[in-house]
Amino acid sequence: MTEEPRYGVLVVGAGFIADAHIQAITVDPRAELVGLVDVDPGRAMAFSYSHGGVRWTADLDTALGWPEVDAVIVCTPNMTHASIAEQVVRAGKHLLVEKPLATTVADARQAARRFADAGLTLAAAHTHRCYDYGMAVKDAIDEGVVGQPLLARLAILGSWIWPDWRAWVLDPAKSGGHSLHNGVHLLDLATWWLGDEPVSIYARGQKQSSAALRIYDHLDMTVTVANGATASCEMSRAHRPAGFGARELLVAGTDGVLSQDWDGESSLLFSDQGLQAVPAVGGNGFARQLSAWLDSIEGAEPVMPTADAVRAVALGVAAELSIARREPVMLEEVLDLTGASV
Amino acid sequence: MSGNSALGVLLAGFSGIGSQDHQSAMYEPALRAQDGCAIVGVVASSADDKAVAHAAAERLGVPCHDDLATALERPEVGAVSVAVPLAERRRTIITAARAGKHILADKPLAATLEDVLAVAEAVAEAGVALVPAHHQRLNPVLRAAAAAVGAGRVGLPWDIQADFVVAGGDPAPTGELFNLGLYPLDVVRSVIGLDAHRVHAIPIRSGRTSDDLADDGATLMVDYDNGVTATIVVMRAPRVGDLAPGGVLRHRYRISGSHGVLAVDALRLGLQVRTASRNDRGWTGQNTTAALIDSFHRAARGGTCAPGIADAVHVHRVLDAAQRSTRSGRPELIADSQGVSQ
Repeated sequence: MTEEPRYGVLVVGAGFIADAHIQAITVDPRAELVGLVDVDPGRAMAFSYSHGGVRWTADLDTALGWPEVDAVIVCTPNMTHASIAEQVVRAGKHLLVEKPLATTVADARQAARRFADAGLTLAAAHTHRCYDYGMAVKDAIDEGVVGQPLLARLAILGSWIWPDWRAWVLDPAKSGGHSLHNGVHLLDLATWWLGDEPVSIYARGQKQSSAALRIYDHLDMTVTVANGATASCEMSRAHRPAGFGARELLVAGTDGVLSQDWDGESSLLFSDQGLQAVPAVGGNGFARQLSAWLDSIEGAEPVMPTADAVRAVALGVAAELSIARREPVMLEEVLDLTGASV
Repeated sequence: MSGNSALGVLLAGFSGIGSQDHQSAMYEPALRAQDGCAIVGVVASSADDKAVAHAAAERLGVPCHDDLATALERPEVGAVSVAVPLAERRRTIITAARAGKHILADKPLAATLEDVLAVAEAVAEAGVALVPAHHQRLNPVLRAAAAAVGAGRVGLPWDIQADFVVAGGDPAPTGELFNLGLYPLDVVRSVIGLDAHRVHAIPIRSGRTSDDLADDGATLMVDYDNGVTATIVVMRAPRVGDLAPGGVLRHRYRISGSHGVLAVDALRLGLQVRTASRNDRGWTGQNTTAALIDSFHRAARGGTCAPGIADAVHVHRVLDAAQRSTRSGRPELIADSQGVSQ
């Protein structure tokens, strides 16, 4: 028997990440893509054509008025997240918003408060919590495999991925900086693995692709949590050669060590293009994330609690502040600020 | 085999940090295997290692001297292998240097930066060779890495990520930052050839002791000349089942450069031997201790000390700043060669 979709989902923002969310919608029987919004009508129309001709508009309020919309997935530039979240909560819809939840702690807190008050579900798309490796490490730690974790080390490395100087990500006023744009993935994941509240962060940033960059394409960030354990996180879009990509992790605890190397679960392909890793087939993190969000709408414990999404924003803001100051920053300071932004 | 031209070596002390006896475990067998060296005598460092010294003398068929001064008067003693307790190293090395003897010095060279600087001054004045036992840099994988970086194969290096993790064995009463930290710091120096000027060190603590110094390791975030950064994790992790206590569990470097990435795993070498009870990696060529003794022999015969006293001074400057950083909770400047902070 085929299950009838129970959630009409509106996708806002027709960039590349929207594709991953829409693919997740297509494989979840509870969800149905019912509309698409993009401020660029041409892009919205083209995206609609490539996704079955789904209804589209360039006006968010119009789409939020469509009766079949129950929930919204937002894939727009970071600086729009807070204001769109406000529109969505006013329309009485649930929201899954791309990370970061907002570009300031104050905005993140405001969004969290508004959805909680309205009895609606808000989740930020920290998708790495739903990837195979992220879950496997968390499960192993929670099962006590390494005892009390003392150190987590996570590197997610890549080469230049963005377009040219016009890319909004390169404007810290729009993206919040790279610590908030991509760094939050690692900051959240490693903190989640360690299972304790972050206390301080020391971060360094480099501008390798161009000295004229206003964001740091290489981030090197170490978080200390309340019990003294540390998470060392390296995020890069600065590496060469083009196409380089690697993920490595190490967790050491009182009873053992777990690790995954860059070529873990991969075959190695030697070809005229050089040496490449061919990763093992894995689960669909976006599908898992969507499913968990729908579960939480129905009352289940969220995989990504709103408080953690606010904390991730605070970590990203603190990382940017630490880079600017060349000093460690206490999370307490960032959490005490209203509208903290760098 | 020893001949008339062999370098006569006195084994001075069979002690170290905690329960360490690198003299018996490493230097004595390697010196015996070096054709150009001949062990001509031994001397204990204290009552604590007197029995070990006597046993060594009997085994080697050489005199066991009652005191260092008497042993140094023997004309056939051309060099001294020093493995006395940490607090005694300054006095022993300076005494040997002033007697005109070349020195193979167990690591760490001395207990404090002040001691190391005093040793450096005495060695320079005496005009003798001193080779500190920074043997890890002589790993053939790491020597090749240093050559590759030196030849520009990654372009201009801008970041190094390194892990040096041992598993099990006796914890060092000095803390593992001091005990183990010098190895990766020395390797990084040998690979990129730059001086460090600032370090932020975050200790790793399992809580096995409340002693402020007795850390299990640290995450070192080091700033080098030319904007090059390094994040170095050094740690004594718990024992793992298939590795001898105190064995190296993880020893790797990733050097990111303007034109490429060099991923170095210093354990990826030689033969792997696995049986019902063993999982050992064997060396197909010269091991690091043998290479160290070769280097020492060459230095005593007038060659370059590699590693030399300048390398020991450099790593001890970094370690000194790192220890200050673990206490202050903030990055600390590394004193320059004139003893003035940059």
